[in-house]
Amino acid sequence: MQDARIRLISLISLSIATFLSVPGAVLSLVWLLLSPGTLKETMRSAAFWVILLFVTIIATATQMSGNEGISYFIRTGVIILLAFSVYREWHPGEYLDLSVWLFGKKYGFDIGLAVEMSIQGLHETSREFSRIRSALSLKGLQPGIRLIPAVGFLLIHTRLMRARDQADLLATRGYRAGGSCCPVFRTTNRDIIMGILAILVVFLSFMPVRDIFILQM
Amino acid sequence: MKLSLSSVEWNAGSWKFHADASFTPGVHLVSGRVGSGKTTLALLSARLLQPHAGAVEYEDIRSYTLSFQYPEYHITGSTLHEEAESYGVDPSAACARAGLAGRGHEDPFRLSRGELKLFQLSCLFMRRWDLLILDEPFSALDCRGKLAVCRSIGENRSGIVLVSTHEQHILPKTDYLWEMRTGDLIFRGPLPEAITAWESAPGPIRMLRGQGVIPANLTRDDILEAECRMHE
Repeated sequence: MQDARIRLISLISLSIATFLSVPGAVLSLVWLLLSPGTLKETMRSAAFWVILLFVTIIATATQMSGNEGISYFIRTGVIILLAFSVYREWHPGEYLDLSVWLFGKKYGFDIGLAVEMSIQGLHETSREFSRIRSALSLKGLQPGIRLIPAVGFLLIHTRLMRARDQADLLATRGYRAGGSCCPVFRTTNRDIIMGILAILVVFLSFMPVRDIFILQM
Repeated sequence: MKLSLSSVEWNAGSWKFHADASFTPGVHLVSGRVGSGKTTLALLSARLLQPHAGAVEYEDIRSYTLSFQYPEYHITGSTLHEEAESYGVDPSAACARAGLAGRGHEDPFRLSRGELKLFQLSCLFMRRWDLLILDEPFSALDCRGKLAVCRSIGENRSGIVLVSTHEQHILPKTDYLWEMRTGDLIFRGPLPEAITAWESAPGPIRMLRGQGVIPANLTRDDILEAECRMHE
């Protein structure tokens, strides 16, 4: 999906639908299946499976205690899948454009800049983590609990150093608040169709299952 | 002892890396612009990156390591003493070699990046490696530090030393010259013959070449000697 505005609307719609009901979650999953490339990339993420594992543990405990664990698992699982898929489609500068379009050049610019820097930071942390793992293997050290403090401290240290450099850079460029940005969006026909389908999913999720699938005996 | 990259390919989006090369003992200098693929070559050679096609093969290479451009990635100890121990070298000797004698109790993060880089390289140079891969070993170093690293590289030439850098002024005594050009690894040949074919040669070497003077090698002394010849 190229247009960040439609992606945001789709994300909000599908999140509501998924939160409201299990059929909403199933329909959201079907919507995600319409973009198999992104979904495939998401499924390759180790972080996704780790989070899903925790969700599974909580869902199992909920189900065993007599509550709706399966419903929780399906809905939360799909919301996580949505979050990861949308995150994968991010392009640098996109949320700055989106935020300025939504909230204007003052607050919108500040929010957009903060979001962009945060996402960029996440990407960099992921790359740094991969380099640190390589450095550990070169020293013949196996990643384990003993090394968590060292690796954690290193990641925080590099993030803080980067944040300081970024702050200096912004100050040097004269940044105080707000800024000039002319948002540009590229909308394809596919984006429009996917956006309409996402809104449709919200309406369908309000309906009882029997009204959609005519399951009443 | 040989490192072979047989028809190795690696892709990142539309960017493609390709290498078909063999590295034998000696100092191999890989030059190239930022983003040309030097770090990718280093990672593939250290087998930290799996090629999408082709194979990276080690022949009689029993010990190998890679030094990243940013020395912070290598830190696992809370003091320089612990850090040196993690490389299996004598902490006091490592500190002394890096010009940090008596500072073994200090936190590695308290050092400047240049000091940390020199310390990390000193730890590596205190061991013998069949294959030593140095990704931008001169970054963050001052002139003295760069010259010290050049000397240490020379001391390790019994093994394969792969030095990828965009350094323009202080370079080690080199046996073989390679160039990375937009993802393609090109062999320019042994020194000094390779200098004539070196497309991304540093300014001083280009100037000498323009005057018809070819230095014997790439060290600062070689360049000075060639400049003297130019004025004869």
